[in-house]
Amino acid sequence: MNRNTVPALALLAIAALVAPSGAASKGPAAGKTVHVGVIADVTGGAGVYGTPQKNAYELANEDVKSGKIDAGGANLVFDVQDSATDPAQAVNLMQKFTTDGQTPIVLGPTLSGEAFRAFPIAKAANFPVMGTSTTAEGVTAIGPTVFRDSLAESQVIPTTVKRTHDKWHYKTAAIIYGDDNAFTKTDGDVFARELKAAGIDVVDTETFHIKDTDFQAALTRIESKHPDVIAIGALFPEATKIIQQAGKLGIKAHMMGGNGLNSPEMYSVAGPAAQGTVVGAAWFSGAIYPSNVDFVKHYTAKYGKGPDQFAAQSYAAAQIVAFLVARGATTKDEMTAGLKNVRVIQTVLGPIGFDPNRDVKSSPVILSIVKDGFAYFH
Amino acid sequence: MIAQQLLNGLFLGAVYALFAVGYTLVFGVLDILNLAHAAIFTAAAFAAFSLAAAGVPLPLAFLGAAVLAGIMGILLDRVAFAPLRARNAGTLVPLISSIGVAIIIGAILRGIYGVDERHFTVGGLDTAPVIRLGPLTFTTVELTIFLAAIVLMLVLSWILRATTLGRRIRAVAEDRVAAALLGVDLERTIAATFFIASSLGGAAGVLTGLEYNSVTLDMGGPIELKGLAVIILGGMGSVTGAVIGGFILGAVETLAIAYGLSAWRDAVLFGVMFLLLVARPTGLFGKRALRAA
Repeated sequence: MNRNTVPALALLAIAALVAPSGAASKGPAAGKTVHVGVIADVTGGAGVYGTPQKNAYELANEDVKSGKIDAGGANLVFDVQDSATDPAQAVNLMQKFTTDGQTPIVLGPTLSGEAFRAFPIAKAANFPVMGTSTTAEGVTAIGPTVFRDSLAESQVIPTTVKRTHDKWHYKTAAIIYGDDNAFTKTDGDVFARELKAAGIDVVDTETFHIKDTDFQAALTRIESKHPDVIAIGALFPEATKIIQQAGKLGIKAHMMGGNGLNSPEMYSVAGPAAQGTVVGAAWFSGAIYPSNVDFVKHYTAKYGKGPDQFAAQSYAAAQIVAFLVARGATTKDEMTAGLKNVRVIQTVLGPIGFDPNRDVKSSPVILSIVKDGFAYFH
Repeated sequence: MIAQQLLNGLFLGAVYALFAVGYTLVFGVLDILNLAHAAIFTAAAFAAFSLAAAGVPLPLAFLGAAVLAGIMGILLDRVAFAPLRARNAGTLVPLISSIGVAIIIGAILRGIYGVDERHFTVGGLDTAPVIRLGPLTFTTVELTIFLAAIVLMLVLSWILRATTLGRRIRAVAEDRVAAALLGVDLERTIAATFFIASSLGGAAGVLTGLEYNSVTLDMGGPIELKGLAVIILGGMGSVTGAVIGGFILGAVETLAIAYGLSAWRDAVLFGVMFLLLVARPTGLFGKRALRAA
C-alpha cells in the first residue's frame, strides 16, 4: 500500500467525525464490489448467538443497498458462512476467505474458542479480522491484524460493581458462575477480583455447567449464607433460570450480571423475579443514537423480534467496514490501516474506536431490568 | 437447609427416574441401547410446546405429546431396529442406527423450530403459586411433576406385573426365542415396548420443559448421559433399579452442591457411582452380568 495512504485514511477518519452521516455518498470506492467474509455459528450449539449475527448482516446488506448504511457508493456485500459451532469449520472458512483473493476482511467467528483456532491463520496471512462476540481475554493479542468491537467482560464488570456498590452499599456477596465456558469463567474471576478490591466479603462461590437447568441446590446454599448481593456469571439461558429459581426460593438479595444477561427477552422469560436485576452491558436497545433507533425498529420489523447484543455488535461491525469502504479501503492492507487509524465511528453501540491493543474503546452501559425491558440504572 | 436440599434432589430424581425407566425397558427387552431416547424426550417437549401454544390445555398437551412420543418410538423401531433385528445384526449396529435417528430427529426439530429456546407461556415455574411449608419451598408445578412421574412409574410397574402385555414383555426380555415358541407375537410385543418406553421418555421431556419453562434443541444432552449412568447404576434392564438409581443420582447431585462441592459435582456423582459399581458390578438390581459379546 502507498505510504501516503495511511495518514490520508486517518485524516478522512477524523473528517468523518464532523461530516454528517446518513445519505449515501460517492466515495473513492464508488461502483466497486467489496466482498466481506462473515463466519457465524448459524447452526449447532451456538446457533442462538450466530443466528442474530447472520440476521444483522442480512439487514446490513439491505441497508447498504438502500443507503441507510453509507458505503460511499460501493457495492458492499456481507457473505455469511455457517461455521456450525465447529472450530474446524471456522478454520476452513477462514482459510477460504483469506485465500480467495476477493475478500479484504473477515468478521467473526462467533465463539472465542473458534477465534483462538481461526485467527492465527489470519495473522499468518497478515489479514484483518474483527471479532464481534469473542470476548475472552487474549483474543486480540493473537496478532496485529486482530480487532474486536465487543466490550469484554473485564471492561464491563468493574463499572457494574462500582455503580451497584455506590447505590446499594452492600457488604457481602455471593458469586455463581459457569466454570466450563471462557465467557462465564471470566465473569466469575472478574467479579471475585472486583468485589474483593471493593472490600466486599464474598461469602460463597458456586459453579455450574453450561446447559444446566436446575440451580436450586446452589441457590439454597447461597441463601443459607445471607449475602446482600448475588453476582451472576452466566449466558442468557442459564441466567434466566437462576433468576427465576432465586425468585421462587424467596431470595431477596440484589442480583447483578454482565453482557450475558443483556437480552430483550430477559423479563419475558425470567419473569417478575428479574425486576431490579442490574446488567452491565456493551449495548442498550433503548439507546437513542439515531442509527440504533432505526436498527432496532427495522430489525424488529424484519425478524419479528427485537435484536440482541450479538446482532447489535455485528451490525456495528458492518457499519465500521462500510465507514472504511466509503473512505476508499478495498484491500486487506487498507482495511488494517483504516482500523488502526480510525478515531471514532458512530455505530449502533454509540461512538466507538479502537485502543492500541485493537480492543474496542467505548463505555459500558449499566442497566436495570424493568417490566418488559431495560432502563438505565441510576 | 438440608430439608430443602433433599426436596430439590427428590424433584430432580423423579424426572431422571422417569427418563431412565424407558431407557432401561428397551434394553431389558432387546439388549440394545436406544440412543434416540433423548431425541424423543426433546421432540415430545417441543410437541407439548406447540400444542400448548395452539391453546390446548396443559394436561391434554402433556398426554398428546406422550402419545406422540410413543408413536415415534414404534416408528423408530420399524426404521432403525426391526430391519437389523431381522438380519441378526447383533447389538452394536442398532446402537449406530439409533444415533442416526437421533440426528435426523434433531435436524427436523431444528428445521421446524429454529435454534431459539422456547417457553410455555402458561403454567411455567414463574407463574405457578409457591407453597411454603416450614423450611420447604416448592411450586405447584414441581409438585404436579413429581406426582405425575410417580404415577407413571406405578402404572408401568402394574402393566409389567399384572397384565398380559406385561407378561409378554417380561417373557421376551427373558428369552426371545422361547417366548416366540410359546406363541408370543414378538414384533407386536416389541412395538408395545417401544410405545411404552418412548411415551415415558417423552413424558419426562415435557415435564422437564415445564419445570424449567424451557424447551431447547439440546435439552436431551445432559439427561442422556445421566440416564445412562442411572440405568447402569440400577442394573441394566431393571425398572426398579432405574427408579432407585434416578433418585440416588438426584440426591447425590444436590447434596454435593449443598456441601459446597459445586465445582466437583460431576466428579462426586460419578465417583459415588464408581464405588457402588465396584461393590455391585451388575448394578443395584442387576440380575445378570452383561452378556459377553
